Amino acid sequence: MEAKPQLASEGQPKTGNSAMILKTGSGWTRGLENLLSGELRRWFGTRTWLVQIIIWAMAINFIFLMVALNSSGGDMSSSDSIMIFNIFLGLVGPIGVSILMQSAVVEEKNSGTAAWVLSKPVSRIAFILSKMISNVIGVGATMLVAQGLIAYLIAALVLHLRLPVLGFVAGLGVHLINILFYLTLTLMLGAIYNHGAPVIGIPLAFLFMQQYLASYLASIYAPLSSAFPWTLAIPLNNSQDLPVAGALMVGAPVATYLGVVTTLVFSILFTGIALRVFQSQEL
Amino acid sequence: MEFVIETNLLGKTFKKVRALTALNLRVPKNSIFGFLGPNGAGKTTTIKLLLGLIKPTSGSAKVFGLDTVRDSVALRSRLGYLPQDPRFYEYMTSREILMYTAHFFFKGPQAEIDRRVAETLELVGLEDKADRPIKGFSGGERQRLGIAQAQVNYPDLLILDEPAASLDPMGRRDVLEVMERLRKYTTIFYCTHILDDVQRVSDTVAILNRGELVSYGPIQELLAGSEGIAYEVKLKGDTTNLYQQIVAQPWVVGIQVKPHNEWTKWVVSVSDGAAAEHHFFRMLAADEGVIVSDYHIREHELEEVFLRIVEGGQHGS
Repeated sequence: MEAKPQLASEGQPKTGNSAMILKTGSGWTRGLENLLSGELRRWFGTRTWLVQIIIWAMAINFIFLMVALNSSGGDMSSSDSIMIFNIFLGLVGPIGVSILMQSAVVEEKNSGTAAWVLSKPVSRIAFILSKMISNVIGVGATMLVAQGLIAYLIAALVLHLRLPVLGFVAGLGVHLINILFYLTLTLMLGAIYNHGAPVIGIPLAFLFMQQYLASYLASIYAPLSSAFPWTLAIPLNNSQDLPVAGALMVGAPVATYLGVVTTLVFSILFTGIALRVFQSQEL
Repeated sequence: MEFVIETNLLGKTFKKVRALTALNLRVPKNSIFGFLGPNGAGKTTTIKLLLGLIKPTSGSAKVFGLDTVRDSVALRSRLGYLPQDPRFYEYMTSREILMYTAHFFFKGPQAEIDRRVAETLELVGLEDKADRPIKGFSGGERQRLGIAQAQVNYPDLLILDEPAASLDPMGRRDVLEVMERLRKYTTIFYCTHILDDVQRVSDTVAILNRGELVSYGPIQELLAGSEGIAYEVKLKGDTTNLYQQIVAQPWVVGIQVKPHNEWTKWVVSVSDGAAAEHHFFRMLAADEGVIVSDYHIREHELEEVFLRIVEGGQHGS
């Protein structure tokens, strides 16, 4: 059996066989760097990123490409063509991210890996933040950057549209905010519940119900209809306004940024609740 | 004596189910502490309370003098834990799991961490499977990896929940050897159902039943039983006179005689251990008509003690 070394404290030089330098501190960031590197390895150290790019390309851009190829010789307007990409990204994105996040938290709680990780010197805040940050990066890269690039190329090469690059990037940023809403909502529900049905069911139910909810609220006070994440990516029924992401992508004026603000506020709120609930969660 | 774990009336209730009641436990430093009990006795609940994975509903616990609720992260930096059913990230290899675990404790240098990981893989016999994803690992291999990750950080306290479960006899032997070697450097607190293992390596034992501590103390005291000291001897020949001599001794409480073929087995209960130790064997040897083939102080098997305590519904330590 090996001799147990005397371990050096953080920042102290090593002496004799005290070769390893201990991490110290017990604040909320304890373990975050290592957790994040483990989570990012799950995304980019395996074939997950490639599989995700292929899945999202089939679910979002394959349909966009089919529509583009079938449009008669480039007579489709830029706003119409980009709307198809926006609608599919606006629907498939939240569904995909809800499925991914459900497995990220609930499965870890049920399988015991969360308890194993949290038996190490790791703060619970770091655990939740690592799930959130890594999945924002993973989803951002595979669903937004990769699919955005493919969509831009389809628009340029098949539809011969010259979309403003900055506006297109800003539109993808709005999609990121939309996806962040569902990601944090699922994270919060994953922290609250120990089984998958409500964690995945509630975000999906909200995704499809909100257009009716928005119409109802519009009858009470019209601007409220624009406060939903739906309006970031998909046009509301009976509305002439382009959704925020679509408008930015084609360089059209944005009717209102209310949806962006409320979506961001709710995302922050969901994250706060997730952190709070997980602190007292029994594993 | 220095104690690594100290609990004070520690209790836990899940909804309306009381899982642990007023547990008072002290685990001496550098001991191998066997924590026993039937399924549902509250062993895993106790471990989770010590790790800060759940919070007590009453009482408190300290590990290294640190409160398990307030100082949970700090105390976890000094311990290693093997869960009952170890589950790890399946996309990682066993080397990556150990590297990942080590990085929660150490900043570097990376070469030293690599060396420690390699050494730990060798210790548990996983060096040839080090770079294979753990997705295809057997239960025994997962258990070995679990033991490896629990002690990769040179913990001052190792908490093992069923460490020998899902291991074959050779794996079990290896685990017990590892535990005995680690005793010099660390305190081991472990739950198990394999009572032979406890009897072999533990120096202190606690038995939990229905959430209550029912027995607690050094294993030798527990094995001696509550009936006092007794000697077991196996004799051949005419034992009539010898019996009369022995039973007349003031330190003899009684003799139980069990004939077995041409041999006779006596269980001699004594009231004065020192007097018995001084005189008993001399008296046996002095009788030339009797052959003594076995002579020892009776020890109960741990399984016998455990079943008597648990099935007898003994409460209170």
